Amino acid sequence: MKIELRNFTKRFDGQAVVDNVSLTIESGEMIALLGPSGCGKSTSLFSICGIHRMDEGQLLFGDKDVTNLPSQKRNVGVVFQNYALYPHMSIFENIAFPLVVQKADRATIRRKVADIAELVQISDLLERKPANISGGQQQRTALARALIRRPDVLLLDEPLANLDAKLRLEMRSEIRRIQSETGITAILVTHDQVEAMSICDRIALMQKGKVVQLDKPREMYANPANMFVAEFLGNPPIRFMPAELHENQMIAGGAALPRPQHLKQSNLPDKINLGIRPEHFGPQFGNEISGHILAIETQGRENLYDVALSDGGVLCSIQPANDHLNPGDTIQWGIASQHLLAFDGQGERI
Amino acid sequence: MKHISWLGVGFLTPALLIVGFLFFAPVVMTAVFSFTNMSTATGISGGDYLLSPNNLDEMQAHGVSQKTLDALADTTYQVDDHGLLLLAQEFGTEIANELKERHNNDIFKNRGELERALKDMKHRIRSPRDRKKAADLFGTSILNQRFTSKVDFITAVIQTGAVQADIPAVTSVAYTGWQWTTNNFKRLFSLPATWRYALNTLAYVTLTLVFNIGFGLFLAISTFYMPEGFANTFRTIWFLPRILPPVLYVLMWKWFTWDTGFLSTILAPLGIPAQNWMMQTSTHAWVTIILINGSVGASLGMILFSSAIRSIPASMLHASEVDGASRFQQIRHIILPQLRWPILFLTSYETLSLLASFEHILLTTDGGPGKSTEVWALAAFHTALRNYSGNLQYGYGAAFALILVAIGIAASLVYMRLFNFRDLVSKPRIER
Amino acid sequence: MPIQSRNFKAAPMIILLSLLSLPLLIMCFYLIVDTITNTQPGTLIPDEITFEHWRFLWQTTENSSANIWRVTLNTFVFSITTATTILAISLTAGYALSRLNIPFRRFFLSGLIMLHAFPTITLIIAIFLILQTLGLYDSLIGVIMVKSALELPFGIWIMKGFYDNVPWEIEMAGVQDGASRFTVWRKLVLPQVQPGMMALLVFSFLTAWSELVLPLVLAPGNKSQVLSVYLATMLADESSIDFNLMKSVGLFYVIPVIITYMIFQRKLMNIYGGGTKG
Repeated sequence: MKIELRNFTKRFDGQAVVDNVSLTIESGEMIALLGPSGCGKSTSLFSICGIHRMDEGQLLFGDKDVTNLPSQKRNVGVVFQNYALYPHMSIFENIAFPLVVQKADRATIRRKVADIAELVQISDLLERKPANISGGQQQRTALARALIRRPDVLLLDEPLANLDAKLRLEMRSEIRRIQSETGITAILVTHDQVEAMSICDRIALMQKGKVVQLDKPREMYANPANMFVAEFLGNPPIRFMPAELHENQMIAGGAALPRPQHLKQSNLPDKINLGIRPEHFGPQFGNEISGHILAIETQGRENLYDVALSDGGVLCSIQPANDHLNPGDTIQWGIASQHLLAFDGQGERI
Repeated sequence: MKHISWLGVGFLTPALLIVGFLFFAPVVMTAVFSFTNMSTATGISGGDYLLSPNNLDEMQAHGVSQKTLDALADTTYQVDDHGLLLLAQEFGTEIANELKERHNNDIFKNRGELERALKDMKHRIRSPRDRKKAADLFGTSILNQRFTSKVDFITAVIQTGAVQADIPAVTSVAYTGWQWTTNNFKRLFSLPATWRYALNTLAYVTLTLVFNIGFGLFLAISTFYMPEGFANTFRTIWFLPRILPPVLYVLMWKWFTWDTGFLSTILAPLGIPAQNWMMQTSTHAWVTIILINGSVGASLGMILFSSAIRSIPASMLHASEVDGASRFQQIRHIILPQLRWPILFLTSYETLSLLASFEHILLTTDGGPGKSTEVWALAAFHTALRNYSGNLQYGYGAAFALILVAIGIAASLVYMRLFNFRDLVSKPRIER
Repeated sequence: MPIQSRNFKAAPMIILLSLLSLPLLIMCFYLIVDTITNTQPGTLIPDEITFEHWRFLWQTTENSSANIWRVTLNTFVFSITTATTILAISLTAGYALSRLNIPFRRFFLSGLIMLHAFPTITLIIAIFLILQTLGLYDSLIGVIMVKSALELPFGIWIMKGFYDNVPWEIEMAGVQDGASRFTVWRKLVLPQVQPGMMALLVFSFLTAWSELVLPLVLAPGNKSQVLSVYLATMLADESSIDFNLMKSVGLFYVIPVIITYMIFQRKLMNIYGGGTKG
């Protein structure tokens, strides 16, 4: 089902936490609300499921205006960050709860719970209590409970935050599998850009109660709308350095570089900020920039180098692991100029 | 134990002393007293030995022989200083002196012999009537004579010519101090009033407890669904029954239910005659004491349950709402199951306190009308410490109290198991 | 973020609870109004303002021969002494039971819980006789000792609870820094349990202030009378019941309670609620 938020504003104590946000999620799509804590992503989620009321704006499920409906009448499935399983009920009872409160008959409940348990692969745990199953299994239970009513929209609030690193990878793909098998429109709230990029069709990146960019993950990474987006996506993060534009060249990082193709227009300001991702700086791109190595961090397959430039700026480079270099060594490296991201004084993309 | 902290021993000693003397000792003494017939009449410390004419019948019932009874009832006549002094006052010193000379300390079996002796004297009393009167001055009986020591009493009894075998029985009847007995418990189990008190207590504890928990839950849950400001106001109001001194709280209720009080006044225009809504019938009395005691307990329940509800993770409540639960379903499926332990705890705690509480009933109905609201603890209080007849039966009251002690110990043993006492006792982590 | 969602309306609850609270509010309202007004029988609206109901402050009344100021002083002495005694002893005993290696620790702890099972009535008969033998009957000292002893198990339990919540690391650090356990207790631990001390002090003060049965039985005479007994005597005399007078006495009696309640409300709710745990 298509979900539409129109001019949504939510205030706490007069302070706008979400400020005039409009967002359309296509039917069957999985979208991520991504942003740092306090950006309003969870508030948006709670407003969509009806726990918070919207101060302004409209919420449509398909063609139906649900803005003023209580949670009970919205048909939304939610997976909470701590899963919010009911500790006194068995897994079966937990999953069945949405049907029990609808007073569905027993046979229906039994059949539906069995189906959904099979989908999330917890069929053999139904008699247990939440305290007696693992985090990943709790996660699957929460998913099953959220899906049992075949909700119009599935909301996931930081669903992977409470899992250890290995389980997180596993559940990430599981969530995506279950979502695409059921074809339910889903909204994933997360602060983890890897999570958002890896399983979502689109990402809405939020900052201070506003959506700063809404795009496909790949697109957003390659073409961030501003410095905030550029810095938020990507690990190790992008580094910035100031640059002065001249007629045919630009001065940056203590070196004179040719103006790259996409920065050749004449209406650009003199002083800009350049964003350089670690994979776009290294010996393979030339030798115009000199500096010395500050620190080396080994990640197994790759090495990360922090390089101090002659003008005091620091760039980061990611290279296949090798033992050739030591901290303090001077290097002459280059940058992939076609991938340079340029921002104006306000941090907006040029 | 490997390491003993002497600091700890020192720190604990004052508490141990106070608790030992004023808490533990009284409990033990209650147990001891319950096997005595101690009362206002017997006093607390030792007693005297005194036979009264009434005691004779009692002794007969105890199987004392007729011979002894006759001997005890008999009056003997002994010429002693006390009698001589009286004689001198009535009939002149000369007669007294002569009688002393001739018969000092002589014992006469009956009045006739003494009269004859008086007749035989130089300074004799002429009129037979006066002689009779004079002889009476020397009459002594063991009856109505108070002996402070047991030995003196037994000597006196032997002197009367009582049968040796009857002496222990006589002594025990004559003793006015308290004695060991199991009669208290026999009485307790045989009197119908006891069962009445037990049933009253059962009804009182059960009904009050139900009101306690039910209304406490209602207060906690209803305030939970309110904005903070309202919730705090109502919690403050309903905390009053617990924080107000019982005397004042009961005073307010008395005014509210008095025949010139609020209820009567407000109901008068509706044609309902003024009446004492607290004491009119035993039903009125029961409703009042349950409301009064119940609201005190409900205050506690409200606080306990409120904090338990607050500790339910918000996301669980949100989840149930998203899952489609109505308010009633949320209370039934999510909130109440989470309150299981607090409810169980309050039930156990309140059962014990209600079982032993009588302060509010004492002030409200004092067990009335009739004995319809007399509960066990109040009966103990009335028996031992405050009643209209003025004879406070400490021993009998202690027997009442001892039953409560027994129930209390049994209950707390069960509770300790129930609430996992072991968890409360973690070992010190610094081993010195 | 507020805990409550907006899915349920509060208004029905507020209205229902307001109705249920009405009797209690009426009682409180008339408790105050009736002390300074006269009301004709058969109506609830006062028709004159008067201070005669407070006459007990400057003269003895027909219901009681005791001097109110003497009685008030007694009540303060009784409550304050009892509260400090309980606090002082609970502070040390609670620490010993919570943190120190003492023999029979388990036994003492279970004994502490057991003592809860011996309420006033099971002890008062024996205590009545003990005090008579000791010559402390009808004296304040006797009641203070008894009341302190009866509240002590609860006080120790509460203080133990507060001590239990002090992080062990603080004490371990203190011991590592070379302080004795006594110094650690005095300098490091006591400051941590200050809120608990305050709460227990206030709580003990209030229970002593409200106590009726002990002074009624153990110190009923005019010289050692306390306010609860003073008022209870009036209340028991049903032949000459004068609600205006009794309410004035009652209001006079409850003022310290209300003041304490207003200052320490939050703390008190905690100790009344949490204090009964275990």
